[in-house]
Amino acid sequence: MKDVALQLINLKKTINKKEIIKGISLQVNQGEVYGLIGPNGAGKTTTIRMIVGLMNMTDGDIKILGQSIRLNFSDSIRNVGAIVENPEFYPFMTGMQNLKHFAKMYDHLSEERIKEVVSLLGLEKVIHQKVKTYSLGMRQRLGIAQAILHKPKVLILDEPTNGLDPAGIREIREYIRKLADEEHVAVIISSHLLSEIELICDRIGIIQHGELISERMVDEPEVDENHHSKVIFDVKEFEQAQGIFNELQIPFEVDKHRLIAEMNREKIPSVIKMFVERDISIFGVTAVKASLEDQFLELTGGNVIE
Amino acid sequence: MSKFFRLIGNELFKIFIRKSTWVMFISLAALVIFGAFLTKTLNEMNTTYSDNWREELQEENEQFEKEIAGEDGEGFVVTYNGEKIAENNYYLENDIKPLNYGAWQFTLDNAGLVSVISLFTIIIGAGIISNEYNWGTLKLLLIRPVSRTTVLFSKFTSVFVFGLIMMIFLIVFSLLTGSIFFGFEGFNPKFVISTAEGFKHVPIISELLSSYGYKVVNLIMMTTLAFMISTIFRNSSLAIGVGIFLLMGGNIIVGILSRYDWVKYILFANIDLQQYKTGNVLVEGMTLGFSVTNLIVHFIAFLIISWLVFTKRDVVATGE
Ligand SMILES: Nc1ncnc2c1ncn2[C@@H]1O[C@H](COP(=O)(O)OP(=O)(O)OP(=O)(O)O)[C@@H](O)[C@H]1O
Ligand SMILES: [Mg+2]
Repeated sequence: MKDVALQLINLKKTINKKEIIKGISLQVNQGEVYGLIGPNGAGKTTTIRMIVGLMNMTDGDIKILGQSIRLNFSDSIRNVGAIVENPEFYPFMTGMQNLKHFAKMYDHLSEERIKEVVSLLGLEKVIHQKVKTYSLGMRQRLGIAQAILHKPKVLILDEPTNGLDPAGIREIREYIRKLADEEHVAVIISSHLLSEIELICDRIGIIQHGELISERMVDEPEVDENHHSKVIFDVKEFEQAQGIFNELQIPFEVDKHRLIAEMNREKIPSVIKMFVERDISIFGVTAVKASLEDQFLELTGGNVIE
Repeated sequence: MSKFFRLIGNELFKIFIRKSTWVMFISLAALVIFGAFLTKTLNEMNTTYSDNWREELQEENEQFEKEIAGEDGEGFVVTYNGEKIAENNYYLENDIKPLNYGAWQFTLDNAGLVSVISLFTIIIGAGIISNEYNWGTLKLLLIRPVSRTTVLFSKFTSVFVFGLIMMIFLIVFSLLTGSIFFGFEGFNPKFVISTAEGFKHVPIISELLSSYGYKVVNLIMMTTLAFMISTIFRNSSLAIGVGIFLLMGGNIIVGILSRYDWVKYILFANIDLQQYKTGNVLVEGMTLGFSVTNLIVHFIAFLIISWLVFTKRDVVATGE
């Protein structure tokens, strides 16, 4: 088991007597990328604001590298880099002036490190321009730059790919993976772009109404007994196969020359066995991995703004 | 500690990189030059004394006497000329050559421009926290290994460093402009002033420092007040408005409330410490100690309120 980098313990937040975060517990290990997804207003940003100390927690605790942020905030936050919501900077200053401004808030942060981060995010060309001339994508990159300047052990990114073009998203994704794999940074990313998160994260937590309603590994097989996924059967003896599904009481749809059955993947081998026994020629069987999006919509009952 | 200085450096950088700050300095410089032109025109009437100053003073006195004789023993001319004669006699008795008008005296006359600096410092003080809210940059400032208390006090200190820089600018620029327009009186010239205990021959520099110093009290108090208001309401316009209104109107408020004895406890009744120098105290029984205590209590209260609000508050989405 790897070391825990970030831990939320029964975290709660009440604003104006309304409970917005209703007790979230989760942990992110070193070198792990954790995705926090949920519909608009689910409480992702609120959770992140509490982790970085912008909001006080009503109850519960947050530990960074094992130490509660309640005890010594400055020492804890030293190990954290973050983007919270939109990437906003001093518009009348250049990107470089902005980075230097934040760099001065740490001890021993060298000019070389700033340059390194600038080239890492491909900002060399615009870094000496005023931020007010930046596109959203450039500001997003600058946002990531200020978050990683001080080589944090925990990186918190609230919708970091917002505004980036596909090439930019891919670049950032690869870079974040590299940080996690090579420098063992624990990364927590919030998003509602599910396809995005699926590609980059090791583990995902779905948050809704301020609660963590589900947590799973990204490539975890469907083990739930009652969960039915789609299985596509490409067979020659079409009618006969349908008869078997009816016999087994498996619901199915007909799609041109294929049969799409709704069933638990555990049952696939026994169905194939029956087909073989009854001399049905099988060209192919595909278990469609329900995309995260389906799971997400299924779990949250649609992407409805709270 | 070095981090605190770095934070102040950051704040000053953000202040001085904006054009609006330079407009402030240019306006102040323009006012100084305008004042010099005005003084130059008016000063044509003033006499300058040559090496024969003793005779010149005597002639002046005779002229004043004549004017008094022309009046029927009362009125402005009588009082004014009487004072002038007394002053001239002081020079003659003590064998002091009257100092001709020059850069130092011009700088002293510009003490009134400290209110303009107060105005600009209030604007800076009112924006230093609330601008961070408006720009959405406060969150980037608070997720660093620097406590909110340190952020707050580095900002507060920076406002006064700005005020100090402007003050030094005013003095240096006035001296330069004054030297060009009126000449330089020397490095530590003395001149004669009229005090409650009669005439005194004093160094201009000490007079300059006290004259500016008394006005700085108002600057400090109103800027701290504006800083507090903007920290509470995250709105710089409101803080600037209230700050400038009270900067200008504090005396009016005191005037309105002057029939009550408790007026002496309000801040504005204590801001003018010069009342203890001239002896014209607002309410019988007020002392310098009383006023200074009152000022310190207000100052600390403003700071504590700002601190409580700033350190305890949730930083939520921008534009709220
Ligand atoms: N300052 C506040 N006062 C009152 N309610 C708030 C405040 N901030 C957030 N909320 C509420 O808390 C809930 C969670 O908001 P939050 O911004 O955390 O959602 P989110 O998951 O980040 O949404 P999005 O995907 O739109 O960014 C929302 O219902 C919101 O209305
Ligand atoms: Mg959000």
